[in-house]
Amino acid sequence: MPWLLIGPSLALAILVIGYPFLEILWLSLHHVSPFGVVRGFAGISNYMRTLEDPVFLEATLRTFEWTATVVGGTVVISLPVALVLAIDFYGRGLARVLVMLPWSISLAMAAIVWLWAFNGEFGMVNAILQRIGLIAHPVPWMARAATAFPVEIGVGILVSIPFTVTIFLGGLASIPGEIYEAARIDGAGPLAQFRWMTLPLLRPFITIAVVLNMIYVFNSFPIIWVMTQGGPDNSTHILVTYLYMLAFRLGEPGLAAAVSVLMLAMILAVTMVYLHLEERSPA
Amino acid sequence: MGRRSIRGSVLCWLVLLPLIVLVLFPFALMLSTALKSAPEVLQYPPRWLPAHIDWSTFAAMWKAAGFGTAVLNSFAISTLATALALAVSVPAAYALARLPFAAERGYRRFLLVTQMLSPVLLVLGLFRMAASVPFGSGTLVNTRLVVIVIYATFNIAFSVWMLAAYFAAIPRDLEEAAWIDGCTKLRGVIAVFLPLAVPAIAVTAIVTFVNEWNEFTVALTMLRSPEKQTITLRVVNLVAGRYSVEWNQVMAATLVATGPVALLFAWLQRYLVGGLTLGAVK
Repeated sequence: MPWLLIGPSLALAILVIGYPFLEILWLSLHHVSPFGVVRGFAGISNYMRTLEDPVFLEATLRTFEWTATVVGGTVVISLPVALVLAIDFYGRGLARVLVMLPWSISLAMAAIVWLWAFNGEFGMVNAILQRIGLIAHPVPWMARAATAFPVEIGVGILVSIPFTVTIFLGGLASIPGEIYEAARIDGAGPLAQFRWMTLPLLRPFITIAVVLNMIYVFNSFPIIWVMTQGGPDNSTHILVTYLYMLAFRLGEPGLAAAVSVLMLAMILAVTMVYLHLEERSPA
Repeated sequence: MGRRSIRGSVLCWLVLLPLIVLVLFPFALMLSTALKSAPEVLQYPPRWLPAHIDWSTFAAMWKAAGFGTAVLNSFAISTLATALALAVSVPAAYALARLPFAAERGYRRFLLVTQMLSPVLLVLGLFRMAASVPFGSGTLVNTRLVVIVIYATFNIAFSVWMLAAYFAAIPRDLEEAAWIDGCTKLRGVIAVFLPLAVPAIAVTAIVTFVNEWNEFTVALTMLRSPEKQTITLRVVNLVAGRYSVEWNQVMAATLVATGPVALLFAWLQRYLVGGLTLGAVK
């Protein structure tokens, strides 16, 4: 009976996710022409070429920087925001709506609006910073990786906050109010309550937020693709944008397939290590 | 916790203020730019209030982006993909919530893995799969059908998690009473359980719909002809690879495309908290 019920979802997922996965695994072991014609077995040569490619190595490091800063920044900002939104205050309903709002916008469109905001010639960000005296001349933000990549990280954090706050709010709602009452009677101050009660009880929710965000951010394509396409001069590529470039712009399907497989190995490994550490460490 | 006080409320708003400014900034910029004339957009420093309001931008954008067709495409693709996702997710979520079975843990793991295999990781395989299936005079590449099936599939995990969490909260005594009263299993579920599950299904449907409405990567890869493209893709194409960008038109397009979804979401968000988290943590 259960199999009948989960069967259709299982079948669809195996067909639409499993088959392309096997196809990529197979491609990564073959020579493939720019138009996708498979030319014969290549062994691990696609992987060797990928691992020797300096752009791949830089994109890998940048992907870890991207994932760590976006997920870290998101959790660090979302936690206090969720704590405040869990308090009963005037206008809380409105505040919740406002904090959740970025969720409703597609990443691609958010990226477009921020691209315009950071426009080097006519952008509003330059105008504001110049008026308050932080910069003397308009800055061409998106023309150099040193400024473009941090801007992309900032956009990444902003769009990840609503989902994360939602998870934390769910976690906070699951903590019974009576235990705070008891703690207050025992003389625990707000900080002690947070450190010794809220944080440990929130722990599983923080874990799930970190894991899901890690997966989503590691795989996040639209922000960087729309804002810089990995440029200028490959200096803002993360692995997904590099993979897309290899597959659909540079005519290297074999290499793109190898990058896909390596990425999957990375995200699986990082997730496993994180979950393992979480299970072992005391709350 | 605590009682409402004016001072506490002001403090709460002050803490949230920086974030709220950043959230509202894009909407303000969209509106401000969309109402400007083309020459005024290219003035530095830009001002928030347009010198004179130019409504013609919206009409120009509507034509340049093929807005009507693109919105219809987005609507049709998202609706059908949501229907397909729910058709397979509702039974699966019912099984997770009601019937303890041996493979439950395995099935939950499988769902998590499907989340790791994101569309962009598999994009080359998805493209080759579509290209290998003959359809009409060509293949599944450049059809809305393949986009619908892919969207539905990648939303299964999320839908099942969310639905299962809600379903678990519906008391099972009611169905069991119906079965005892002589209903068949299926009739009991349809007559008693499903009506109670409608709100949960509706919330899940809307979240899935919004995810699909906003999707970019698969649409970019599969939909080649402009008359088949979704609104997200058409708007990006107003910017990507253009030598000169009509920013007032682009902002008008993003405003019209995001406004309705933002309002829908604002109304919906209170229902999100419970279902999402319970489903993910279990």
